Amino acid sequence: MVSSKLRVWDLPTKVFHWGLVLSFVAAWLLRGDRYLHLHVLAGYLFFFLLLFRLYWGLAGSFHARFSSFIRPLPEVWEYLKKATGRKAPRHLGHNPAGGWAVLLLMSLGLMISITGLLTLGVEEGHGPLAGILGREWAALFHASHQALAWAMLSMVGLHLVAVFRESVLHRENLPLAMLTGYKRTDTKARAENVQPHAAVALALLGVMLGFSLWWGRGYLLHSGNEPYLPFSGPMLSRNALWEEECGACHLAYHPSLLPRRSWNRLLTQQENHFSEDLYLDAGTISRLRAYAVTGEAGNTVTEASWKIHNSIPAAKTPVRITETGYWKNKHKDIPEKLWTRSDIGGRHNCTACHLDARQGWFEDGAMRIPFNEKNMTRIM
Amino acid sequence: MAIKVNRRMMSAIFLVGISCGLVVTAQVSAVQELLAEYGREGAGKYNAVNGEKLWKRVQVDAKTGQKRSCVTCHTNDLRKPGKHARTGKLIKPMAPSVNADRLTDKKKIEKWFHRNCKWTLGRICTPQEKADILAYLANQ
Ligand code: HEC
Ligand code: HEC
Ligand code: HEC
Repeated sequence: MVSSKLRVWDLPTKVFHWGLVLSFVAAWLLRGDRYLHLHVLAGYLFFFLLLFRLYWGLAGSFHARFSSFIRPLPEVWEYLKKATGRKAPRHLGHNPAGGWAVLLLMSLGLMISITGLLTLGVEEGHGPLAGILGREWAALFHASHQALAWAMLSMVGLHLVAVFRESVLHRENLPLAMLTGYKRTDTKARAENVQPHAAVALALLGVMLGFSLWWGRGYLLHSGNEPYLPFSGPMLSRNALWEEECGACHLAYHPSLLPRRSWNRLLTQQENHFSEDLYLDAGTISRLRAYAVTGEAGNTVTEASWKIHNSIPAAKTPVRITETGYWKNKHKDIPEKLWTRSDIGGRHNCTACHLDARQGWFEDGAMRIPFNEKNMTRIM
Repeated sequence: MAIKVNRRMMSAIFLVGISCGLVVTAQVSAVQELLAEYGREGAGKYNAVNGEKLWKRVQVDAKTGQKRSCVTCHTNDLRKPGKHARTGKLIKPMAPSVNADRLTDKKKIEKWFHRNCKWTLGRICTPQEKADILAYLANQ
């Protein structure tokens, strides 16, 4: 049996495969609030690759086309029976079970992308689907996004086991073949090299690189003293009197951070404001009150206001943002000694860690524990 | 003709002079008016030296045992920015000579006297004390 090498996987298919691996791993590692901006970039690349693959499944070279590897289910069943008995026949392209695995992985990937976009749009208010549904949907999308990601990770695990088994069974390095594109063949099989399609692969890489640079332009081009804020929130209401009177001793907390009844209580009890007597006249108080109640947390203009609002039991009227359930939960990992550090100065000093506290946004990616050379504390 | 131009120039100079003066006058008038009011409320002749003493006097808070004075937040050097002892927020310098916005608004001065005396001394300040402190601060 004479064997020779044959190009099975064209370049765009290889770029797709390894690009998908990288973007999935990157998105997984960059999950969570702190790196949301980069997580979303990985997600967009992941989504773009999947959409490209759908097109390439129709227009690509022979082994990349769905028609070449999606086999009828009885055939898949036959193959699986043989495979469990270690007698699986060798296939140049995807084997019948592998073909369906490709479809399943792609569907999971597409669903992850869509639930991701929905979570971004509904929970965070960003991206193309920003605000298409009320925030009460956010938890559902977020949970599905996570569950689907775990499902895909499990499928990837299965895929790896299958690739390993098949590699051993047929004594060929399948992962390497996906890298080089070549597989060994016996001359009996009437098969031809597929076209490499280098131009398509280059265009694919170019689009992804260009998009990544555009996405990250803020980090590259940003100058000036203020740090770069990757996400900017919605335009929130502003009020000069509020900034002046309530910003004199501390950050003028945006009204969206506490419900109406809390502002009412704070303004009513102004002569005992955390043992300060604010001594504001009735006219000033009523103007401040008018502004506060129109911008209160119940309007849920930001993710923070929505979540703070939801974490307050109806019977409670907190006078501190820092005593609300959501706030406490979000900051529970911060060690006590950090709060008393001189450059932070206390829980109420949001500006120390939230670069966009003044705007009232509290976006993901705009928070950092300030680096302190003296005791080298850095928790994130 | 020539006389008319001269008149216009003079009124222009006059107007510019007035507007420059207004900034200084605002400070002087707010302080002067307040001093007069404190006098009507029973304060005797103001004394900047007593004002300085009061500004720097340390008072122990009955509830917390903390040592408090006006210096706690405004620092010893009135030309330098201070720092709010409870919140850590920066406070612009108190001396009118480096911060022209200071002591220009009667209502604001009264408001802060009320707040800060209560927190620092545990009581509101008397008209005499306010007059003395104001006289001290205005000269800085
Ligand atoms: C005279 C100084 C002063 C002024 C003026 C002032 N505050 Fe405060 N505020 C404080 C202090 C002191 C605290 C307590 C800080 C601490 O120890 O946590 C506080 C705390 C707060 C908190 C709770 C922060 C938290 O822990 O979540 C809110 C809300 C607040 N202030 C709202 C207001 C509003 C609204 C106004 C304007 C009407 C205002 N403040 C004006 C001194 C002031
Ligand atoms: C010592 C630094 C520090 C201070 C001060 C601080 N925060 Fe935070 N905050 C953080 C960190 C770190 C996180 C991220 C926690 C995480 O995601 O695990 C966070 C998270 C949050 C979030 C959630 C953001 C999101 O979308 O996940 C909100 C809202 C928030 N903080 C509001 C506030 C407010 C309001 C104040 C002031 C009253 C404040 N924080 C003060 C460090 C701080
Ligand atoms: C807890 C901190 C704190 C202490 C202690 C304190 N102050 Fe102040 N003071 C402030 C802050 C904050 C302002 C507002 C500064 C601003 O407007 O930029 C202020 C402003 C003032 C002003 C108004 C100045 C103006 O702009 O016209 C006066 C007067 C004043 N303080 C007097 C006093 C006196 C007298 C004492 C001592 C009895 C005192 N302060 C102690 C925090 C403090």
